[in-house]
Amino acid sequence: MEIVSDSSSPSKTKDIDGLLANVGYKVRSSELHQVAQNLERLESAIVNSSSDISQFASDTVHYDPSDIGNWVDNLLSEFDHTASLPYDFSQLPDLSAPPPQHHHHQSSSTVNNVEEDSAIKLVHMLMTCADSVQRGNLSLAGSLIEGMQGLLANMNTNSGIGKVAGYFIDALNRRIFGQNNVSHQVSLYENDVLYHHYYEACPYLKFAHFTANQAILEAFNGHDCVHVIDFNLMHGLQWPALIQALALRPGGPPFLRLTGIGPPSPDDRDNLREIGLRLAELARSVNVRFAFRGVAAWRLEDVKPWMLQVSSKEAVAVNSIFQLHRLLGSESDSNYHSGIEMVLGWIRSLNPKIVTVVEQEANHNENGFMERFTEALHYYSTVFDSLEACPVEPDKAMAEMYLQREICNVVCCEGPARVERHEPLVKWKERLGKAGFRPLHLGSNAFKQASMLLTLFSAEGYCVEENQGSLTLGWHSRPLIAASAWQAVPLLDAETLRFDC
Amino acid sequence: MMHHHHEYMQEGTRRTTSRTQQQSKRHKFFINDNIDILREILKRLDGPSLGVASCVCRLWCNLTTKDDSIWEHLCFRHVSTPPPASVRPVVVALGGYKRLYMVCVRPVLSRLGESEMVRKQVWTRHEVQLSLSLFCIDSYERLAGGMVASDAAASSLIFLCNPINV
Repeated sequence: MEIVSDSSSPSKTKDIDGLLANVGYKVRSSELHQVAQNLERLESAIVNSSSDISQFASDTVHYDPSDIGNWVDNLLSEFDHTASLPYDFSQLPDLSAPPPQHHHHQSSSTVNNVEEDSAIKLVHMLMTCADSVQRGNLSLAGSLIEGMQGLLANMNTNSGIGKVAGYFIDALNRRIFGQNNVSHQVSLYENDVLYHHYYEACPYLKFAHFTANQAILEAFNGHDCVHVIDFNLMHGLQWPALIQALALRPGGPPFLRLTGIGPPSPDDRDNLREIGLRLAELARSVNVRFAFRGVAAWRLEDVKPWMLQVSSKEAVAVNSIFQLHRLLGSESDSNYHSGIEMVLGWIRSLNPKIVTVVEQEANHNENGFMERFTEALHYYSTVFDSLEACPVEPDKAMAEMYLQREICNVVCCEGPARVERHEPLVKWKERLGKAGFRPLHLGSNAFKQASMLLTLFSAEGYCVEENQGSLTLGWHSRPLIAASAWQAVPLLDAETLRFDC
Repeated sequence: MMHHHHEYMQEGTRRTTSRTQQQSKRHKFFINDNIDILREILKRLDGPSLGVASCVCRLWCNLTTKDDSIWEHLCFRHVSTPPPASVRPVVVALGGYKRLYMVCVRPVLSRLGESEMVRKQVWTRHEVQLSLSLFCIDSYERLAGGMVASDAAASSLIFLCNPINV
């Protein structure tokens, strides 16, 4: 911070805050906190005031605004309202709660207050920084980042707001200094490893897999030739359970084909084929006739329906776990189909018996940066809270890294590079409805299974809720993941869907 | 007359004692000679007792470790309706009942048993299905190759171990 020399009071120059002095206000650095609080109180008093404040406006000219501390004090004394913070902290889960302290009991109350104050201040600064980024005031944003990093140095960054804030500060930093697209390009191998630990550390992926499998199993009832299309095969961890359930279904297993979509493998390896071989071996051991096909594509938009080789005799299930939102940022092609419309269109042309969609229940696709930032801060705070309860290391640390990349993408990137465009279920319902799908109810079996699965996780705080046929998994009543199932509305005679090329 | 009676009685007793001794030597029941009975008894033990039983002698150890039917009984004793016959080949293919018990059923039982909902210790097909699914994932991960010891749970099932009070 710059020190501004003030010839009239040399003994006090070192104390004046430089940033505010640049814009014409004289405040002592030691009083900054108090002045800030008073400003907030004043703002909320003005906003919440139900009485006529026009007379108040004329009073303000009596006080010297450059001595802002006194100015605020005087104005506040004109009001009788009780103070309230401008942001509604009751909605932020655990953000200002201090981390659990097992050892300090007597002194904990003072420590808690200090921690809480720091937490509140940190959140304020995060919001202000994001706001200045949105306005383009990068120098202010930069100094706020320094301030926050200083604050973090004195806070507990192992849990709670300290930890989450750290990731968001880092992401803002990257955005300001233009490291958007370069820094966190992890290799495919690293992505695999992080994904696996994320799978183990928390129940989100397992909930997604088990719920989707249950819906697919029920949809395949009575069919002898079934074909599952997985939009993101990864390690194929979803499919052993389905293979086993099909093996044990009354009437015997069907002939199961699995088409797995995934990124092309580096070197000469064929990761998709390796996963396929492993699944085939498992299927063979339980006597399920199985065939696998891998489709390598960097993006889902690049996949063409003919690559999937769907036959009309089979019952098709399309499975998308956290994939559809990645299509929302892609630009329209020459036929004016946006990426998502195109893909939903060819999914429908396959006439699937069921489409299982699992997505993050969050709104991270607003155009306004500030809204996105705030939403993401709430959402990931809750997710990290739920991770706190994970007892297994190094899974937890890796899972956090996995999430950190999502955070970075939401905060730093724009345009096609921003792929983590999460949208809540209501928006997906709208989109899928327009694309010609109608919802399928997930049923009580899926609900029971999900509840049971969650009971197995040592953390108590997860909850499954049913909402008009879809299931959401949440942490302490904040929904985090939504699973739903869909069926194509039968085409009318006049409609044809053609997706050549 | 009393004297003769007494001697006669003593001799009779001696003869009876030696006869019972011979009888007991001929018809002494030794459990290890009757493996079917032993198996029936072992089937009715719970997990920890089976573990203790396997330490008794080599025969008991072989029975408890190699004979999967004992573990099958243990896995499904809580189930209200016995699982269909098609389950057995699947479980055997995926690793056997002993592994199913050690890796899935026991942790699931103990974890579900802690929750207030399932104190009654009777399983429905849902719990069975969930255990089998988790077991299948475990089996699949072991296929991925050699990173886990034979008795340790595969990585994705580690969340079933070590419940921690949060």
